Amino acid sequence: MELDFSIVLRFADALAYGLWLTIRLTLICIITGGALGFLLALARRSKNRLLRGASTVYVEFFRGTPVLIQLFWIFFCLPIILGVELSSFVSGVIALTLYTAAITSETFRSSLGTVSREQIDACVALGLPARVQVTSVVLPQALLRAMPTLLSNTISLFKESSLVSAVGMADLMFVGQNISNNTARPVEMLTAVALIYFAVAFPLTRAVSVLEGRILRKLAA
Amino acid sequence: MFDGAKDQTALVRMDGLHKSFGPVRVLQGLDIEMKRGDRVVVIGPSGGGKSTLLRVLMGLENINAGSISFGGQPYISVKDGKTVIDPKVRRSIGMVFQHYTLFPHLSVLQNLILAPCKVNGESASGAKERARALLTRFGLGAKADAYPNQLSGGQKQRVAIARALMLDPKLMLFDEVTSALDPELVAEVEQVMLELAAQDMPMVIVTHDMWFARNIASRVIFCAGGVVVEDGPPEQVLGSPIHERTREFINRVFHIRT
Ligand SMILES: Nc1ncnc2c1ncn2[C@@H]1O[C@H](COP(=O)(O)OP(=O)(O)O)[C@@H](O)[C@H]1O
Ligand SMILES: [Mg+2]
Repeated sequence: MELDFSIVLRFADALAYGLWLTIRLTLICIITGGALGFLLALARRSKNRLLRGASTVYVEFFRGTPVLIQLFWIFFCLPIILGVELSSFVSGVIALTLYTAAITSETFRSSLGTVSREQIDACVALGLPARVQVTSVVLPQALLRAMPTLLSNTISLFKESSLVSAVGMADLMFVGQNISNNTARPVEMLTAVALIYFAVAFPLTRAVSVLEGRILRKLAA
Repeated sequence: MFDGAKDQTALVRMDGLHKSFGPVRVLQGLDIEMKRGDRVVVIGPSGGGKSTLLRVLMGLENINAGSISFGGQPYISVKDGKTVIDPKVRRSIGMVFQHYTLFPHLSVLQNLILAPCKVNGESASGAKERARALLTRFGLGAKADAYPNQLSGGQKQRVAIARALMLDPKLMLFDEVTSALDPELVAEVEQVMLELAAQDMPMVIVTHDMWFARNIASRVIFCAGGVVVEDGPPEQVLGSPIHERTREFINRVFHIRT
């Protein structure tokens, strides 16, 4: 078997295009999904039983079904139900946003639970009204504490977004697979694709532990 | 030395305070009247309800029965089994805890100005100016922009005191504020409290440091079993207590501490 990795360079533009789609999809969905996930986390800790029940069902459903079926459903069933055509990018964003919301809501939920009783006592002793306690003390601390896990969630999403290749979105995975099929060079192409994913994800996983250490030290005071 | 400035009008009146945690009866009919000139040190065995007393005074705990008035105004009472707290009165009381309670995501300066700006609507620039002056007075001028995790335990507690003082409290509560500190850091915090005492700030202090108690108290209360066992000037309660229980406790603590 003769390997020729120069083929990878010949398709660098196409791979870059795929990577750019993957990155855009990841960034958009972690932001929209994170925002939705934050609201879901608040709903899950709400005193209102209906809100709590509905948000729990949502989260359990999206965590308990394969992302691939969620993607297929949004791509093929949602347009039929809504009676509108959705571009594949929009469909991909919707599907991964809904999924990311379920994942990040768990992140926010546990970080909201870690703000200590003593911090709240201090708020009361300072006469801070409930609204200020939430906006100035509880939320900022919970968000700070959630950051490392959110970054982990982002890395997972970056990798899991490769599933959109199954519905024909031209992300890094899709592009790599296509070139590999058309050039009959699977070893070079698929290895290159794996390395590109790794090259992006690995520094970020290192950043998670650094960030975690810093934030924990800060919040330990 | 400050007895001349002693104001004999009542500041706090606690009447028949009862507080239980489930089956555990912590306060069992506590009556304490505090004058404006008083600096009360509360001593007593661990688990005797000292922290609970301070937390009730701060409006952090519900009570089962009794009432508290502050400066002649009703402050805390019980109606239909529910504790009613006047938040306006509560704002004139400040508290510093045994645990560090600075907000870790905010700088020292931001910790100090949060309540004045958010509660009293003070301008940020005005509050910052007052905060810097207060920090300088407590020897923390260089720490205004530091974060709590960059401070020593003694510095954190001094900042916590400054944070409470930003709201111009009429009464300060201190619950074992030096207990979590390394021994060499205790003095700097006690120094700040002595300075407040010199300015006749009314205070209620829980401490196990009998030397400090003797120095700062105008009055010492020995609490055990949820009631006041002995109440009098420091020389009496710490020096020649009347009650057997007090004597036993003082002997034990003095042997451990000094
Ligand atoms: N939040 C709580 N829940 C249940 N029991 C409590 C709580 N806080 C205090 N207690 C109990 O009340 C009693 C008095 O505690 P505390 O006021 O902390 O005493 P002290 O400060 O004198 O050591 C103890 O028996 C303690 O276990
Ligand atoms: Mg205590």
